[in-house]
Amino acid sequence: MKWSRTRTLVAGLALILATNAVALIGVAYNRSGEPESALKLTQRELQLPYEWGLRKENSGISLALRWRVLAEVPKGRYGMAGNYAGFGGAPNWLDKTKLATLGFDVLEPEDTRLGRMRYSKILPKEVLLVLELDGPTYRTALGQAQEDLQKEEALLKANPGQKEFEERVKNTKRRLHQEEHQYSRLFVIDAGLDMTSLRTKYPDRSHYAIVHGQIQPHIIETNHKPKLAGYVSGLSITQINVPARYRGIFESLQKSTQANAYGVAVSPFEVSVVYGNRLEPWITEARGTKD
Amino acid sequence: MDNLTRTDAQKRADDIRVFRRELERLEDDRVMSLTMQQRGVLTEHHEHLLSQFIQAYDIDRDVQAKQLSLGMRIASFLGALALAASVFFLFYQFWGLLATPWQVATLQMSALATFVVTVWIQHRDDSGYFAKLAAMVTFACFVLNISMLGQIFNITPSDKALIPWAGLAFLLAYTCDLRLLLAMGILCMIAYISARVGTWSGLYWIDFGRRPENFIPAAVVLFLFPQFIDHARFTGFAVIYRVFGLLTLFLPVLLLANWGAGSYLELDSGIVEGLYQMIGFAGSAGTVWLGARRRWSEVVNTGMVLFVIFLYTKFFDWWWEIMPKYLFFLVLGLAAILLLLVLRRLRTTNYRLLGAAP
Repeated sequence: MKWSRTRTLVAGLALILATNAVALIGVAYNRSGEPESALKLTQRELQLPYEWGLRKENSGISLALRWRVLAEVPKGRYGMAGNYAGFGGAPNWLDKTKLATLGFDVLEPEDTRLGRMRYSKILPKEVLLVLELDGPTYRTALGQAQEDLQKEEALLKANPGQKEFEERVKNTKRRLHQEEHQYSRLFVIDAGLDMTSLRTKYPDRSHYAIVHGQIQPHIIETNHKPKLAGYVSGLSITQINVPARYRGIFESLQKSTQANAYGVAVSPFEVSVVYGNRLEPWITEARGTKD
Repeated sequence: MDNLTRTDAQKRADDIRVFRRELERLEDDRVMSLTMQQRGVLTEHHEHLLSQFIQAYDIDRDVQAKQLSLGMRIASFLGALALAASVFFLFYQFWGLLATPWQVATLQMSALATFVVTVWIQHRDDSGYFAKLAAMVTFACFVLNISMLGQIFNITPSDKALIPWAGLAFLLAYTCDLRLLLAMGILCMIAYISARVGTWSGLYWIDFGRRPENFIPAAVVLFLFPQFIDHARFTGFAVIYRVFGLLTLFLPVLLLANWGAGSYLELDSGIVEGLYQMIGFAGSAGTVWLGARRRWSEVVNTGMVLFVIFLYTKFFDWWWEIMPKYLFFLVLGLAAILLLLVLRRLRTTNYRLLGAAP
């Protein structure tokens, strides 16, 4: 079965070239025609890489997509849900019915032993997720932050001079400021399996992008009763490569990072991110902006 | 000569060395002696053979050369890993400074050029040490090539990339007779088959490792592969397939024997763990039996090591908490002695107790 040198050479070169060709044809197809969606993102939605560990050896720059999920805050729980970008969450819209439409087998009641076991074993599945930029979901999150502040201020008014309530107001004010100026406005707001129906539902391509991501059913306790819910566990592509022509912008931003009034680093920039036919993103424009 | 492999040539050279030593002893003991003419013809024939082997296959002529060869093999392996890492970090250091077309061209050219160089070296390096180094660098360049294309163009991660990686690793392994590259190809195939099995059950491919049962079909394929495809001409290839097959089967079983929640089976964790413990014990014992019957020493050894691991894991579960530590380790020691006795008995009967042919 030993091959001659020529046959080995031909086979190897053909394999390397064919693999590259397949990858590049896929890229060309993704970027051909009209973009599937085009979002204008800022430093709120895209995070510059941290310089640590082996990252220091990497001359390339990738921006991390900071996406959020607006999750319900349990009553009496102090704090806000959905602040942390990129870690997933269980939004209200992702209920049992929605999970069934996404192809999960949800026939078994969740309050049975078999149901609990079955749902705890289901792993993430890839579906289409809808990302909304600076839309109603962001405004709901902002409204919740404002409402939280009003509640905390009312509590402080009822308990004047108490350190705990003063501290809570201070923290809630900080969170409101962060929600207004710093947190990502990019939310996962829907999921589906059919591209066309999702696009028909969200026709605005400059505010709604459809991307690949993962959803996993899990059981939560509501009023001591088990309830099946869905968890958005991740996006398939979370890093967007910065082409060399925009490298200078981000390199200088990394070096000139300043802190805002709350001591949080700010590097203002604006980036046009386009999603193509295969729902793979790329940067078409980038510039530094003043905060 | 044309049909010989390097291993065949080395084996013949070793046989010649042993024959010469035994002949000396026989002559010293006056059991027999060759005439000067016979001795001359024999020496000339052996020297001719040895010089041919050295020239054609770069074999080890004596024990010292053999010891040095082992060192060279280790150096070659470590060098291959280090060079592959060096290529990776070299590109990492500079790729961001290049425009996209140059990035793509650099990646492609590095994979193509290193492949051509590997084939060139392979035909000039009969020892295989330098070919191994070059092949490993080629494989690293190709993996880097495809994974960096994914990063540059933000391509959705896909398990399909594992197919060409495995393809190139197998091509280099079979054409250059390199076991290291065979192992790389096998690892890619294990990951690919397991990911596919995982996606059939609906999960996202990257999560295939979270259900250890996904590895079982890949294990079966690997173990059976050398049964259907003759690997006689490739030294140690069948052994590698069988050992990887066994590890791919029994490591997930070992994991499930201690983590029942990770199984697809909709049963209580305790039941799943018990089930996989039984599979582990029966399977590893069966592996020893199969290895003995077929005279596959690597299968016997792997099965034995797995059986001991299953046994010791169980001992730990049962007795670590409740026994004084001196007693626990005494039990382990006694178990080891019992195993030694069983193995010695097997050895003295030449595995006939396990049904092996005499």
